[in-house]
Amino acid sequence: MEIEVELEALLGQQGAVENKMLSLQRMGPNLQLIEGDAQQLSGMITFTCNLAENVSSKVRQLDLAKSRLYQAIQRADDILDLKFCMDGVQSALKNEEYEQAAAHIHRYLCLDKSVIELSRQGKEGSMIDANLQHLQEAEKQLKVLVGEKFDAATKAGDLPQVERFFKIFPLLGLHEEGISKFSAYLCQQIAKKAEENLNLALGSESSERRATLLFADTLTLLFEGIARIVETHQPILETYYGPGRLYMLIKHLQSECDRQMEKVVDKFIQQRDYQRKFQRVQSCIMRSSSSEKIEPRDLDPILAEVTLMSARTELYLRFIKRRITSDFEVGDSMASEEIKQEHQQNLDKLLKHCLLSRSMQELIGYYITMEEYYMRESVNKAVAMDTCERGQLISSMVDDVFYIVKKCIGRALSSSSIDCLCAMINLSTTMMESDFREVLCNKLRMGFPATTLQDIQRGVTSAVSIVHSSLQQGKFDTKGIESNDEAKMSFLVSLNNVEVCSENIMTLKKNLENDCRKLFSQDFGGDQAKAKIDSCLSDMASVSNKFRDLLQEGLGELNSTAVKPQVKPWINVFLSVSHNIEEEEFNDYEANDPWVQQFIVNLEQLMAEFKAGLSSIIYENLTSLLTSLIALELEKVVLKSTFSRLGGLQFDKELRSLIAYLTTVTTWTIRDKFARLSQMATILNLERVTEILDYWGPNSGPLTWRLTPAEVRQVLALRIDFRSEDIKRLRL
Amino acid sequence: MQGQQLSPVSRDRLICQMPKCYTAESCLQYKTHFDAQVKSACQQRHAGNFGLKMSKVVMVGDLYVGKTSLINRFCKNAFDRDYKATIGVDFEIERFEILGIPYNLQIWDTAGQEKFKCIASAYYRGAQVIITAFDLSDIQTLEHTKHWLQDALKENEPDTCSVFLVGTKKDTLSEAECERTERDALKFAVEMKAEYWSVSAKTGENVKDFFFRVASLAFEQSMKKELEKNGHSATQIGAGNLIQLEGNPSETKENDVQHNMNCC
Repeated sequence: MEIEVELEALLGQQGAVENKMLSLQRMGPNLQLIEGDAQQLSGMITFTCNLAENVSSKVRQLDLAKSRLYQAIQRADDILDLKFCMDGVQSALKNEEYEQAAAHIHRYLCLDKSVIELSRQGKEGSMIDANLQHLQEAEKQLKVLVGEKFDAATKAGDLPQVERFFKIFPLLGLHEEGISKFSAYLCQQIAKKAEENLNLALGSESSERRATLLFADTLTLLFEGIARIVETHQPILETYYGPGRLYMLIKHLQSECDRQMEKVVDKFIQQRDYQRKFQRVQSCIMRSSSSEKIEPRDLDPILAEVTLMSARTELYLRFIKRRITSDFEVGDSMASEEIKQEHQQNLDKLLKHCLLSRSMQELIGYYITMEEYYMRESVNKAVAMDTCERGQLISSMVDDVFYIVKKCIGRALSSSSIDCLCAMINLSTTMMESDFREVLCNKLRMGFPATTLQDIQRGVTSAVSIVHSSLQQGKFDTKGIESNDEAKMSFLVSLNNVEVCSENIMTLKKNLENDCRKLFSQDFGGDQAKAKIDSCLSDMASVSNKFRDLLQEGLGELNSTAVKPQVKPWINVFLSVSHNIEEEEFNDYEANDPWVQQFIVNLEQLMAEFKAGLSSIIYENLTSLLTSLIALELEKVVLKSTFSRLGGLQFDKELRSLIAYLTTVTTWTIRDKFARLSQMATILNLERVTEILDYWGPNSGPLTWRLTPAEVRQVLALRIDFRSEDIKRLRL
Repeated sequence: MQGQQLSPVSRDRLICQMPKCYTAESCLQYKTHFDAQVKSACQQRHAGNFGLKMSKVVMVGDLYVGKTSLINRFCKNAFDRDYKATIGVDFEIERFEILGIPYNLQIWDTAGQEKFKCIASAYYRGAQVIITAFDLSDIQTLEHTKHWLQDALKENEPDTCSVFLVGTKKDTLSEAECERTERDALKFAVEMKAEYWSVSAKTGENVKDFFFRVASLAFEQSMKKELEKNGHSATQIGAGNLIQLEGNPSETKENDVQHNMNCC
């Protein structure tokens, strides 16, 4: 069958195939025509190609000839030049036209050595040899002459002459010598100016406005002087020596800068007693004897001066770095990666290991110790002088301590030295984490005094506890009440303090991050410095968390010592209020509320104290703990009570008022915490046992049961009018 | 920084096996494999779930014992005979991948010179690893390691730091000399509760092994700490049921019976 179908299909195609065959046959003669045409075309192309080849080869030969001609002319020119140079140098030297002479020598030096060889081989070989000799002699002579003239100009302090000869050195190929001679001259200038400035500074009156920053200012003048020199002479250097040479110049200048800086720093150490102060601080730290303690405030001026010195240094080093880097960039634009790297390394070494950097690091090292001392001592003072005004949530020491920390870190930041800043951040973090946290921890550890007296005032406690409390406290005197009140306030204030500390640390961190971003955007420090700062700041965040943990601990303590022992008895009163009641008692309860109103009043009184004394966030936390506690304890007493139908209704009413009240004092929803109790109330309000099935399982609707079937049965059993067989029979 | 973190860790910084210690006489732990719990946790939560782990390593020791050289040999595979004293602190981040988890070592290289000590000591805090280095050819530097360690430990909470004692410049000593010094050093190491290593930054001997060991131990420790923390909170949340089911079945039944009794 299939074959037949296929055959039929093939037969069907017969017509089409035949058509195609026909058209193919028709195409035959056309193809022959095309072949002929193609052969003709190919012949033409070959011919044209040959023709072009012929023509172009001639052109090529011409070109070659032309370039050779040019070379010949060039050589001839060179030889002529050489002659011209030989003649010119002599006359220029005679006329003291050093620039001219140098230009001739430069030309000679630029000539191809082979040209000189060529000219020697010529007819006038011997004469040229003699001339060359002259030329070389002239070169030597000129080199010596320029050197001497330069030195003379330097000695005379004749800047135009100095610059004149400075420009000649590179023409003679003496780049390095020129730069070193010129920088020696500049160093002389720097030294002279620096000495003047230092003497001026040392002679100035101590009453002057900036007297306390005298050495920082002197150092600034030194840096500014060098910067100005670089600014004014960089163009000449670039024009006559080419780019990429600035590093060499600045390296020379830096050694002078180091020398002058050392003098200033030595004087600073001497006049400000820097070393001695450091040693005294160190011994204060070691001995911690209060007798010869340095007043931290006395350190303020010197700390400010050192940080200013460091800041100026960083600014100056950044200036140098920028200048040299951009100069290298131009000079090394064609250079290999290796050379670039080598230059970068040289620059880094210059910046990092110059005496200036090392001296500043040393000064900063001492500074760090003194700043740490300043911080610790000031913090100790703030802690010792801690007071809390009535009505204030936090005490003075928190603000004081953070003011001090901010000031110290701010001062370290003002030094612009990343290492210094990181060190100070670390030290502050350590201080806050251990010492200061310990202070707060100790305050919290004293605990919230158990409130026995209040109980008496409210007339809730039994006689037993009165006896107990009087035994504990000795007497009922007002002093006891006062100190008790104080202890309470101190505890609450400490809690607030801890919270504010945790907040403040985060704020401090954020501010520092901003400050550092600013610093980095000004091109201080690189990626490494950023990573350093990040590491130190993240440490700070973890300390903030430690304060947060401490707060939770303190709150837990408050809850278990102050709230729980009070609230529990109030809830236990529920047990003494019968919920196995008839119509009459129910009505009576309506008129004279047996429990919940008093409970709410008590709660309000209890929490009023905390509300006034705690920050809103902590109070929020505490009320949350309170509501959990109430829900838990109430559940316990409910499970211990028995209920009639009306008793259930009564409980439902009580629970509703309680929840309504608690909702007003919290901002969080508390329905969730009372979900189990509400469901218990629902169960206790049922008409019949089986009615539970209207709410259970598939009928629960939006209600999610928080009670297990066993618990439902347990609650049902609290109703006296429900028969246990009915409950047992329930399928839950 | 971010760009760095995105690029994959270089091939020669992958660790899959716990590296061996230098000598069993003084090492922080003898096991030759990673902790089984840590291993399975790493497999389960391949990267992703963990944030980028980071440990802080602080290197201390006398001047000129070769702290910077040791770090440069490992981090940059370079050795520079030119001695330049470290000023204040230097800092390198070395990236590893251990058991498939990215892990960074933050290596703080402190100055050994007395005059820079004030600034350097501010950086000791929060260290997970303290490396005390000494020069194998200079016995004095070994004796000073105790002070260095004390200073560094003072800034940290007790029992949070792993300590390593490293003898440097192994290439400058003959084998016999080296052995003699090592015997002394081992006594120190035991006393300091430190793991001992002898290395040479010049030849590179043991340098990579040493840092791999440091990274692995630090990694294992921080993973264990994390697991402990998570495990702790998990049991708190999971509470009753799980424990009851795993516990004595008869007890569970008793509880049920009690419930039933209450219902009746």
